Amino acid sequence: MTFSISINEAGVIRLSIEGELDAVTVSDLRAEIEKLLMRQIGRVEVDLSQLRMLDSSGVGALVSLYKQVRARGGEVVVLGLRDQPLAIFRLLRLDRVMVGAELKTPASPSPSKHPSSSS
Amino acid sequence: MLGLLEHRDVALRAVSAACKLVSRRPYRPELNEFRMHVVSAVGEAFNNIVLHGYAGRNDGVIEMEIRTDPDRITVELRDYGDSFDLDAVATPDLDLLPESGLGIFIIRAFMSIRYRPGRPNVLTLSKCLAADPKDVPKESVPRGNPSEGDS
Repeated sequence: MTFSISINEAGVIRLSIEGELDAVTVSDLRAEIEKLLMRQIGRVEVDLSQLRMLDSSGVGALVSLYKQVRARGGEVVVLGLRDQPLAIFRLLRLDRVMVGAELKTPASPSPSKHPSSSS
Repeated sequence: MLGLLEHRDVALRAVSAACKLVSRRPYRPELNEFRMHVVSAVGEAFNNIVLHGYAGRNDGVIEMEIRTDPDRITVELRDYGDSFDLDAVATPDLDLLPESGLGIFIIRAFMSIRYRPGRPNVLTLSKCLAADPKDVPKESVPRGNPSEGDS
């Protein structure tokens, strides 16, 4: 697993994780998350587009990040999920709370096709 | 192999390769999802043995046997560490966003599971690949669900 952290001009933190986030590699990420949480946090975008494998240990680290950022008034959005990590997110219903709108699973089927309001 | 997390990748690569043997047609689209589920479940099982069965030890051994039949894979993991009670493992409340205790839930969701504690402990995971529609003549399509509790 490799990961990188960048911060844009608006203060949005982008955490990109590649490879495998699992019981073998998760301690490295947890240590970096601890450092990350020492700064002022608004929005955190977690880019998992290059993540090949995610296990329950990796999920634990991502959920911990989500809870801690939310407790500080920030938000976490997971982007780019696909394949095995997406299957794990959907199984654990994390796609309903942490995932960008393009992959969100609706809470229930929409009964009709009303045009949605943008507000 | 040794019951170390560092050896898990070797086990999962073997399992992933074996998944390709369960279908006569290697490029069936559903085979990819089948492989993802099997690799995920076996990975969690391997983690559990290392982190719980062999907790605090680095000399544990895991024996893995993979059997493939047409449309089915069976993976047996044998270890000599601490046993556990599969029936006592609680189902996590996903609404509470748990950070741990998800491994057995993932295994159960993706594969059928049997566990026999002892020396060795034997964990048997199996999964059916749904019958290939191209192999089944239309007039003989079975009425019931051919799967065996697999998701």
